[in-house]
Formats: sequence, structure tokens, C-alpha cells
Amino acid sequence: MSLLGVQDVVTAYGKIEALKGVSLDVAQGSITCLLGPNGAGKTTLMMSIAGILKPKRGRIVFEGQSIAGTPPHAIVAKGVALVPENRLVFAAMTVLENLQAGAYQRADQKSVGEDIERMFTRFPRLKERAGQQAGTLSGGEQQMLAVARALMSRPKLLLMDEPSLGLAPLVVEEIFRIVTELHQDGVSIFLVEQNAHMALKVAQHFYLMEQGKVTFSGDPGSLAEDEVIRRAYLGSAQA
Amino acid sequence: MLADLLQNSLDGLTAGAAYALFALGFTLIFGVLRRANLAYGPAIMFGCYAATWTHLNFGAGLLLLAVITLAGAVLAGAYVERLCFAPHRGGSAIAAMVASFALWMQFEELATIVMPHHLYAFPALYDGPPLALGPFTLRIDGLVMLATAIAACVLLWWILYRSRFGLAVRAVIEQPTAASLAGINAPRVFVRVFALASALGGIAGYLVVASHGQITPMLGMWSTLKGLLAMMLGGLGSLPGAVLGGLALGLIEAHSQWYFGPQWRDLIAYLLLFVLLAARVPWMTTRSAS
Repeated sequence: MSLLGVQDVVTAYGKIEALKGVSLDVAQGSITCLLGPNGAGKTTLMMSIAGILKPKRGRIVFEGQSIAGTPPHAIVAKGVALVPENRLVFAAMTVLENLQAGAYQRADQKSVGEDIERMFTRFPRLKERAGQQAGTLSGGEQQMLAVARALMSRPKLLLMDEPSLGLAPLVVEEIFRIVTELHQDGVSIFLVEQNAHMALKVAQHFYLMEQGKVTFSGDPGSLAEDEVIRRAYLGSAQA
Repeated sequence: MLADLLQNSLDGLTAGAAYALFALGFTLIFGVLRRANLAYGPAIMFGCYAATWTHLNFGAGLLLLAVITLAGAVLAGAYVERLCFAPHRGGSAIAAMVASFALWMQFEELATIVMPHHLYAFPALYDGPPLALGPFTLRIDGLVMLATAIAACVLLWWILYRSRFGLAVRAVIEQPTAASLAGINAPRVFVRVFALASALGGIAGYLVVASHGQITPMLGMWSTLKGLLAMMLGGLGSLPGAVLGGLALGLIEAHSQWYFGPQWRDLIAYLLLFVLLAARVPWMTTRSAS
């Protein structure tokens, strides 16, 4: 069953169309992955789904409801949370305050407190640094915090934009372990990645995007991995 | 000699307390919007004029006048946000600033049309003699000003660092995109910050007008300039910096006036700002508001 449907979406910066009619689906309970070279429009698509950017055309449907043009805070309320590219943690606020900000729309402070404890169990490093300013954390810790902050809104669909960007290999493995755990807990995940090798290991379905368009869609086994990697990094045009 | 120095410092701190409140309001708006709001002072003047008008026509008492000033400033501040800043969100900073200049003129014209004299009396905060303390004299209204400013700062600190709304404000100031992604309704935060900033300015405006015992339409430009100057002295965008900048400006003015005469007072403050900006002192280039 489709949880998120993107239909013929066009998003433009001024006159330049970064998305030229993108259509794809994220199935309920799946890990779906979006691969593609830099500048293909992956981040633009994530920002369009999360409501930060407003598509010029097309439909974005979440749980059967159209969400294109809805303001970002209202999209969070519907159960979609984005872990943005470059993490964007609140650097001058403490780790604890970052988590509280992630639960901003939730009224029940008791269950928010329980969820914060749950995050601390899942990410023990964050517990150690609870009172520390988020800007003093390492890159990997900041990524954990960004994921935990997004989870604090109790999303049904978690969007992740390049969570492994700039992280050491061991930390990348840790991130992907968490992605798998979250998936087992019942969160559907839509993941943008440059690290095609890791992404194809966890995903049930993947899309390739090049120059603002989806150019391939299939299961991880449906295209030879070296071909996927080549196109994900370079795009087919340059090949 | 030493007594003069201390007395001037005391007077400077009292005046500086009001400047600090102006600067805090300015900094809050600048922090969330990254825009200079030239109509900030004129919105405060609007509140003070509303109070003066009520006083002239109905002879209201001090406390009621304070409430009217505050309400008028908050209302005018929200009007400025809706008209100048909401339509240009994410758009041109220059357009928003020029629009706020137009509203400044609106407020000034309105004041001079409804109340055409250049100067109106405002009921004084305190009429009695100053308090003598050894060689020093303490103006009672000055003490009220200082105490109110400190109380307002404490309250603002509590709002920003201990309340849910404050968490949202700090999130929007630091990382607007991430704040939206966390589920914070940023446009709503903008309006409320304008109201909060105008309330701070309204408190300061009331204290200044009530301790001077008079009001002119120049109050708008005057409070914009004092707030802007204090904000820049303390480092653009820093809240503690705004308080320090305000106090510093008060001290600089008091001492310049004593040693060089009143005509040098403002000149020296501007000269200092110029030198600090030209020398690119480190704290002036910090951008975080927390």
C-alpha cells in the first residue's frame, strides 16, 4: 500500500526547474531509497515533500490526503518528519532542548518525557551529552541528534536526506543499523543517499534520479550494483 | 572628582536601562527576521501618544497610562509586522526596510495631525525631590526605571529560556528551516515576537516619557536611533550584548555630556560606534542571538 505518493511534481527555483515532473511511491512499512548524482534534485524533492519548498505543479499525497502547498509545521502534524541534509541541529541549544523542540507540537508532556528517555536508550551518547550545546557534538553525534529530534514528533514516515554525509565509515554503519532498527519498529523510511552500497543493503525498493527526473525504479537486485553505483555517482548522461 | 564620576555613571546607567530595553526589542526582531525595522521606535511613539491623548482628554492616572502605552505599542508593532514584514518573508530585505520607513512616516504624520503642537506634557513618574545619599543624589524615577528594566530583563530571560514559546523563538532565530521541520509555526512566532519586542519598547518608551515629563513626535526616531546604536554597540543579534550595549551607551552619553558638554554627547556615541565598526572588533561580527 502506498503511504506517500509523488505525482508529476515540478519544483522550480525562479525559472530553473530542479524537479521536472517527478513521480514515485513509498510503500507503507518499507525502506525506500532515492539515489542519484549531485544536483539531480534529491534534496529539492525532500524539501518539497516536507513543505519547505512549494511545488509549481503536481500532487503529493500522504495517507490519501494531498499535502502539496501545506505549511511544514502542518505536515509534521500529519506524521511526516524530515532529517535535513547537513543535520541543521540547533547548535546553541542543549541536546535536551533540541529533542524538546522536535516534540514542539505534542501537548502531553509526560509522554514526551518518556520518548526522550527512549531516545537516550537508543542513542546513549546523547544521554551523556544531554546538557551540552549541540554545536559541541561530533558530526556523527549531531546526525544521531537530528534523527532523534525528527523521531520526537512520532512520525509515520521518516524522510532522511543523506544521513551518512561526511561521516566516518564506522559511524555510517551505526547510522544504517539505526535505520534498520527504526524500520523494524514500524516507521516507514524514505532515504536519500550517496552511499549506494549501504543504501541498497537496507532498502526494499529504490529509485534513481538524474537531472530532475526519475530514470530507474526497481528492487535492489534488479540492476547490477556497479551499474547503480555508476549512475548514482555520475549519471547516465556522462557515461 | 570621584564623586562626579560615580554620580555620572549612576545617571548613565539609569538612562542606559531604557536604551537596553529598546535594544532588546530591536535585537529580537532582527534575530528572527534578519531585517531592520525602522518603524520600531515610531510604533513605541504611537503607544506613548495614545496615552498622552487619553491623559489630555480624560485625565487618566499613571498606571492606566502605562497600560495604554503598552497596548498601543503592541498593536502598532503587530500592524508593522503584518504590513511590512509578512508580505516580504523570504523576499527582499530592502523592500521590507523601506516599507517600515513608510510606516514610520505614517505614525509621525498621524501624531502631528491629531496632536498638532510640537510638545505635550506627560504626567511625571515622580514629582518630589531626589533622594540624597551622602554626596550623591538619586532620582526616584530613575530608580523606578532601573528596577523596571531589570524586572523586564528577568521576565524576558524566563520567557526565552524557560517557556515553550521561548524554545520556539530561539529555534527560529538559530535555524528557521529546522524550526519549521520540527513542527514550529514560524509565521506565528514572527507576529508574537513583534508583539513581545514592542511591549519591551513600550515599557521603555513609557519610562522615558514619564521621567522627561514631556513628549514630541521626535520620540519615534529617537528611540529607533538609541535602540539601533545600543544594539550595534553590543554586537548585532546578541541579547546579552543588547543589554550591555544599552548600558554602555547610557554611560558614554553621561560622561561625554559632563566632560565635553551636551553638544558633544551624541557625537561621541556615534564616533565610538564608527571606530568600533571600522576596527571590526570581534563581538560586532557575531551573529547568533543566543
